[in-house]
Amino acid sequence: MHDVVVVGAGCAGMRAAIEAFDTGASVGVVSKLHPTRSHSGAAEGGINAALGNAAEDSPEKHAFDTVKGSDYLGDQDAIEILAAEAPGDIYQLEHWGCVFSRNGEGKLAQRPFGAAGSPRTVYSADITGHVLIHVLYEQTMKRMEQGSTPMHVYEEFFAWRLAVEDGRCVGVVCWDLVNGGLRLITGRSVVIATGGMGRIYRVTTNAYACNGDGMAMALHAGVPLKDVEFMQFHPTTLYPSGVLITEACRGEGGYLLNRDGERFMARYAPNALELASRDVVSRSETTEIEAGRDVSGSMLLDLRHLGAERIRTRLPGSRELALTFAGVDPIFDPIPVRPGAHYHMGGIATDNWGATELEGLYAAGEVACVSVHGSNRLGGNSLMETITFGRRAGQAAAERALSAAPAGTVSDVPLVQAQRDLETLLARKDGERPWKIRDELGSSMLENFGVFRYTERMQEQLEIIVALRERYEHVVVEDKGDVFNTDLTQAIELGSMLDVAWCMVQAGLAREESRGSHSRPAEFPERDDERFLKHSVTQWTDGGPELSYKEVRMTKWQPEVRSY
Amino acid sequence: MKVALKIWRYDAVAGERALREYEIDAPVEATLLDCLDIVKDRVDGTLAYRKSCRMMICGSCGMRMDGAAVLACKVRMSEVAEAGHIPVISAMGNMPIVKDLVVDMEPFWGKIRAVTPFLQPGYADPGEKENIVSQQRMDVIHKESLCIMCGCCVSECNSMEADPDFLGPAALAKGMRFVGDARDQATVERLQEYSGEHGIWDCTRCYFCQERCPKGVDPRDAIAKLGAEAVRAGIDSDMGAKHAKWFVTSAKTTGWLRETELVPKTQGIAKSMKEVKFAMGLLRHGKVPPPFPPHVAKHVEEARALYDLVKHDGAQGAAGIVQGEHALSRLEHAEDGGAAAERGPYGPGSFAEPYLPGEETT
Repeated sequence: MHDVVVVGAGCAGMRAAIEAFDTGASVGVVSKLHPTRSHSGAAEGGINAALGNAAEDSPEKHAFDTVKGSDYLGDQDAIEILAAEAPGDIYQLEHWGCVFSRNGEGKLAQRPFGAAGSPRTVYSADITGHVLIHVLYEQTMKRMEQGSTPMHVYEEFFAWRLAVEDGRCVGVVCWDLVNGGLRLITGRSVVIATGGMGRIYRVTTNAYACNGDGMAMALHAGVPLKDVEFMQFHPTTLYPSGVLITEACRGEGGYLLNRDGERFMARYAPNALELASRDVVSRSETTEIEAGRDVSGSMLLDLRHLGAERIRTRLPGSRELALTFAGVDPIFDPIPVRPGAHYHMGGIATDNWGATELEGLYAAGEVACVSVHGSNRLGGNSLMETITFGRRAGQAAAERALSAAPAGTVSDVPLVQAQRDLETLLARKDGERPWKIRDELGSSMLENFGVFRYTERMQEQLEIIVALRERYEHVVVEDKGDVFNTDLTQAIELGSMLDVAWCMVQAGLAREESRGSHSRPAEFPERDDERFLKHSVTQWTDGGPELSYKEVRMTKWQPEVRSY
Repeated sequence: MKVALKIWRYDAVAGERALREYEIDAPVEATLLDCLDIVKDRVDGTLAYRKSCRMMICGSCGMRMDGAAVLACKVRMSEVAEAGHIPVISAMGNMPIVKDLVVDMEPFWGKIRAVTPFLQPGYADPGEKENIVSQQRMDVIHKESLCIMCGCCVSECNSMEADPDFLGPAALAKGMRFVGDARDQATVERLQEYSGEHGIWDCTRCYFCQERCPKGVDPRDAIAKLGAEAVRAGIDSDMGAKHAKWFVTSAKTTGWLRETELVPKTQGIAKSMKEVKFAMGLLRHGKVPPPFPPHVAKHVEEARALYDLVKHDGAQGAAGIVQGEHALSRLEHAEDGGAAAERGPYGPGSFAEPYLPGEETT
């Protein structure tokens, strides 16, 4: 038995594992991908910390921008922690060898980002997530050969279910992808850091791995989710593939144009223009597209005026993506972009140390909802959250494990149950294969639960999800083998996606207001602090998700009208 | 569009290999990875391959297309399909196959771990703020830090095919990422470690790694930089190092390579004695020019100027500041020579110049 088992090995997972290890715990890391394949590595633009290297800045300003960006739904004590601890966490990454870009004085360079009052986004060209994940894996490898109980990484172990005993989380049931077979990996504390669920949508920046596994695991272990209705649509995803073109393009001075060449953002956000917050920009683009001022369903991201040199040194990754997937060289032509599902603000409800309602279970990163992002996340804050709250969750999980009474043997009931369910699934010979259900879910969510939401369409979406879940009960896995059976894991992932989608739409229907990324222009166009300045809380019951609400924690900032 | 693929299937349990052909309908913009997804969804759910980000950053989907390593998510299929070509898709080389297109990457990671793949800063107390390092100094390791560990270079490595213990391009590029980092204080130890058997000097310079790297890391350049740093640090006992040193001396002094002296300079006099018979044979057939007086190239000053330039610029002269120049230059739309470059960003046929609402349009 490990002291701490971390599920997921992106930035939050590895940061948690490193901290737990350094606190003195024995650590096992379970990940369905090799750690460096995790989707944190695809983050591009940067990571926010008020270092003040580019202009005067303070954690207080960082916190305020985040509170305002969250449309006042973020928990302000959590946001203050993030803003205060971010600089120290960034310096530590630098000391570990992170390859950040530098300014003229050799300090860490910082660039402007959307809805930020000061240039506070630390970066490495436009591959910030990539350099972060590799420095974290370097530190992980170091600890894989360190001490009497080195860190152990269970690579390509697909986590499926949490093991709960006497009201405590004691481990996770996994499927060994390479060799086949179910395993129960036990730990005194478990940290979930499995990332997001963008794959619920057809157009998304997210990797194939982002299916909401962690949220579904928590739900089914009786742990509540928070604010699941809030899905961020990133304004600049590349047409047609949906891959992310970083906000740094606009941070570096890029324009957004409609088909006439007009910088339309001036009509929606006269002060911040292209650097308004993401929810605002995505809505503006969708309005332009719906008004027919689009170019084949897209807006245009224009970098031409930045010049070849700046594009090649500051935004090389975006240029590479545009060249490869759209055949467009941004030095000479604008890039076709449109809003796409990007980041889930909601997730497993945790306190400021990552602890959930289930004893022994922690969560960090996109899968968690502390909440620092409220109803809309600011660019550059998610990477920072993975590091700061990954560290805090790792420390708390380790301290709890080290102080808890030594556990006896863990029962194999969850393993036996999982084995039975697996055999039932694999024994099924006739029926539908999962991909069509997955595709229909993705298209309908985009259609009915996207940038703008309408009562009737959300109701229709609930019916669609119920019908898809019914069909899912009868899916067939074609591959019956043990070795690298992704047909099996993809089928299991689809189950998670359907359950999480159900929770999202239910919470969206109930929130009768427009706040942050949740916009109901026809029926409830205004924010309604009276009724909805509160978190939605979703819990799983036999009949499906059940909704309640919880107060937002406020410290210094009262809600104001939000404009950019 | 119609896309046909031949895929080498491998069943590890039965130990069976088979080349199967698939034909599918795919959207025009489909990549190789998209096509594999369509095969898996609609034709054969048992097909195994790795994937995740589908945007060339996670490094999961390395495989071979027509015998050359590629990232499946990076290869657009329209041209191949239009030409009526049926590509053969197979697993990467130099690593054991687990199933179909999935290889066991453990040998790969084992070598990464063997180069002490983390910063050794040599400080106990790092101080409160960041280390001050200029961007120019960081640029020395720019290309190496682009590596996504996909394994394409290792798949293609000819040296590793002959010597499976060779550290290989990915691990050595990772090594250069630390050797070139101003913050790392273990440079000499690293260079000694990497200069041993199966290290830097075992590379045959075939440049396949450089050619096939999908990210423009240029691993062979990284190995060359390690070699230069090792020699500079006086770590030159390996024959490979001596060989390289003689190339430099020879080019600097006479502007051309004096091959007759190469063998004794590399292997030492004693060892070279064994080759006397062979040398006499060459001499008899007129293959050995007389060593005295040394033949000096006509424009030897140019070779010397080149030598001085490289010496002056040092490691920073080799730094690339542009992401993956090699990888990008292979894209048809890239600036050099493309039609877009000819008309310019705002020339006739370009998209309109931007304007703010209320401004007069041009």
